Amino acid sequence: MDPNLTIVATAVALPFVAAVLSPLLYRVLGERTGYAGAVVAAASFGLLATEVDSHGTVGVSWVPALDVGAQFTVDGWGLLFALLASGIGVLVFVYSAAYMHGEEGLARYYAALLAFMGSILGVALASDLVFVFLFWELTSLCSFVLIGHYTDDDESRYSARMAMVVTVGGGLCLLAGLLMLAVASRGALGGATFDLTAMIANDEAMRAALRDSGLFVPALGLIVVAAAAKSAQVPLHFWLPNAMVAPTPVSAFLHSATMVKVGVYFLGRVRPLLMSPEWVSLVATLGLLTMTVGSLLAVAATDTKELLAYSTASHLGLMVAGFGFDVVYGGEAGAFHLLNHALFKAPLFLVAGIVVHEAGTRDLDDLGGLWRELPVTASITVIAALSMAGIPPFNGFYSKELLFEAAYEVAHEAGGLAWLYPAVATLASVLTVVYSVKFLALFFGERRAPVADVHRPPIALVGPPAVLASAAVVVSVAPQLAVDVIVQGAVDATGTGEAELSVGLPTHFSPPVAMSAVAVVGGFAAYPFRGRLAAGVQRGVDAPIPVRPSGWYDWIVSTTTVTSARFGPAVHNGLLRRYVRWVAAAGSLLALAGFAAAAGPLEIGGIGGIGVPLAVAVVLGVATLAGAAVATASSHVSGVLTLSILGFMLAIFFILASAPDLALTQLVVETLVLLMFLLVLQRLPSFYSEVRPLAIARDAGVSLLVGAMAFVAVLLTIPGPDADPTSVAAYYTEQAVPGGGGTNVVNVILVDFRAFDTLGELLVVATAAIAILVLVTMRTRGEAAVTEAGEEPTPDGGDSP
Amino acid sequence: MSAALAVAVGGLFAVGTFLLLQRDVIRVVFGVAVVSQATFVYLIAMGGIDEGTRDLVPVLEVHGGGVPEVADPVVQALVLTAIVISFGTTALALVLSYRAYEENETMDVTEWT
Repeated sequence: MDPNLTIVATAVALPFVAAVLSPLLYRVLGERTGYAGAVVAAASFGLLATEVDSHGTVGVSWVPALDVGAQFTVDGWGLLFALLASGIGVLVFVYSAAYMHGEEGLARYYAALLAFMGSILGVALASDLVFVFLFWELTSLCSFVLIGHYTDDDESRYSARMAMVVTVGGGLCLLAGLLMLAVASRGALGGATFDLTAMIANDEAMRAALRDSGLFVPALGLIVVAAAAKSAQVPLHFWLPNAMVAPTPVSAFLHSATMVKVGVYFLGRVRPLLMSPEWVSLVATLGLLTMTVGSLLAVAATDTKELLAYSTASHLGLMVAGFGFDVVYGGEAGAFHLLNHALFKAPLFLVAGIVVHEAGTRDLDDLGGLWRELPVTASITVIAALSMAGIPPFNGFYSKELLFEAAYEVAHEAGGLAWLYPAVATLASVLTVVYSVKFLALFFGERRAPVADVHRPPIALVGPPAVLASAAVVVSVAPQLAVDVIVQGAVDATGTGEAELSVGLPTHFSPPVAMSAVAVVGGFAAYPFRGRLAAGVQRGVDAPIPVRPSGWYDWIVSTTTVTSARFGPAVHNGLLRRYVRWVAAAGSLLALAGFAAAAGPLEIGGIGGIGVPLAVAVVLGVATLAGAAVATASSHVSGVLTLSILGFMLAIFFILASAPDLALTQLVVETLVLLMFLLVLQRLPSFYSEVRPLAIARDAGVSLLVGAMAFVAVLLTIPGPDADPTSVAAYYTEQAVPGGGGTNVVNVILVDFRAFDTLGELLVVATAAIAILVLVTMRTRGEAAVTEAGEEPTPDGGDSP
Repeated sequence: MSAALAVAVGGLFAVGTFLLLQRDVIRVVFGVAVVSQATFVYLIAMGGIDEGTRDLVPVLEVHGGGVPEVADPVVQALVLTAIVISFGTTALALVLSYRAYEENETMDVTEWT
């Protein structure tokens, strides 16, 4: 069944409309705006849920010439992501209404959150690359606004900027990569298109076209860099922990469940298109590296949200690694873990929010034994944390097991160094167990005071994580149910071949089961040594050799700031002539370089003879000589006179070029210009600047460059002697009488077909006339007024310092 | 393809740019005018130039009947607009220069404050 365009478009557009209206809503509803947001999210969720059984692409064309359109593809993968985003959106809005109680700037907060949700739905469902890019960047923008929610806080601003620079920088890489795909589609699909679905349908032709043009590896690299920036993969992971200065609902929504998964989502989307040995070695390695580094840093974390942030990076690495492997299990691991991670990480963030809300601290060392005061929260945490650790039978176990199977299979086939894949995956899983237990320790063991009173959280805070944890329990108990409802569709969309996903607890012993056993047992065994482990990681982070990517970021940003502070005044010195010189020279050089680069398609038809009637050549020759005389004129008056020679020669040129109207106009205008110059010049002194050969040589060089550019441009662009008239010219000539009722085609164009242009031109001339009038007459009037007021007029008119 | 047209346009652009870069503000105004004139030639050249005859003038003989081949009327309309606009520009630039001279008592743009 084909999806319904109206329903899909409404689901995506609804949050944006609500975002625009949210200041109004806030005025009416106050802090209850959060519930209105929940209603909007629920509406989007409901609309999309009606499309679960449909599959296909719908859209309307926007720029047919480039094959760009507002086009949506509904399939399992897009729907899984969109339903997750809108479903968690409902809970986050409810949670926000309670969590953000009494805060400032809530209208902006809800507007950004709603717009963000719309952008995520757009990324998930759009299949036109232009729209994918737009929504992708919109999510970065909303994330910037939300991370910087506390605008008075330095750290908040710093983190927001960092997230913006990294993710938007990644977005620019994405743009370049997508353009390469569009270029390749010209050869592969018989016409340039931005339709991703069509590219994936013809993936072999696309790969062949990309490889033929040598763009395969660059396109792959750029898309992976973009996804890595968005999904916090090493070494671009450093913005994610900093982003935790945002309010906790934002962290749960953007920085664990949805926005950071956009990169993973897109990797899954293009996986069938770009699957190749390069893909495996790049993406799988990147994912496993991030998985390990993220879990190491999470073990060393001292703050609840920091721990969860690094853990998120680590789990994103797991998904990326899954999609990196070219075996069936890999795609299954990535797709299934996207769901599972959202179901356990979002509640953990919300729990962290409850803890900070009720206990007043985020420091892991200060917290413990909270189960007495927060029993419901504690049970939610048990489910979610054990799922995060990948303990059977919780849902995180199933997807992690799939990754182990994928890693093992790849290593088994490739052998050699590929055995590092399962080894690293197991190591990272050991660490995952360690930090999961560490987070769980918040609620168990002894109370570690200085925490004073712990309050009971309101139902609006506990409800959302409880709902998510219940969903996690459902998936844990009946994983095959989740697979049948939605995950199988996602696996089909991201897989390279046919795959029937079946999950369940292992029934017999196999190497991946052994890996899981090692991870769990090793994790619990290593837990007592977490302090030493954390110290080791901290030593590595603080090592004198700067291994911290955030250090590099700071260095680049501060160096750029300092350099531009120096560079700015040097370039922008206020002398217009210098700007003109640089712009003219650079523009000409660029144009000439462009001509040289495009030398193939552009042909200069033989320069045989002068190419125009002799009379025209003579007139133009005189005009050029007159122009040269203007430049060398020794006084202003001789300059004006030679300028007039140039103008009148052009009038003759117009006559010879069959343009009598132009000739008439030119004669009138030239006469007026001559009179005007003479009138003004009689009141000006003659100006003799000293001759400075160096400056003249410099200016002459720039001028020659511009002249050369114009020379080549004319040769390349003017039509041949027997070229047909352009379609526009032919149209106007044919329509002059029937359409405009006049025989003089030029006149009909000016006053009929393009009458508005002429009106604008009249306005320009009228404005110039008024300006001139004011300039000439007002000065004396102003001085007269000043003198009457009895003040001494300053010699220069009074308006220069 | 016409070498003569290319030389004329290139030469006029070069002269105009040179004048634009001068210190004497009146010469800068000259430069604006010369660059405009060079643009007119370029635009007309884009329409193609044939030996001028009475038939090529884009004024049709009668109402109705066949449409003869004429010189490109679109570029002519563009240039007509450009001539008038450049007149306005030159006039405004000239008066501005005059007022700037009155305020600063020099024509040298580098000495203006």
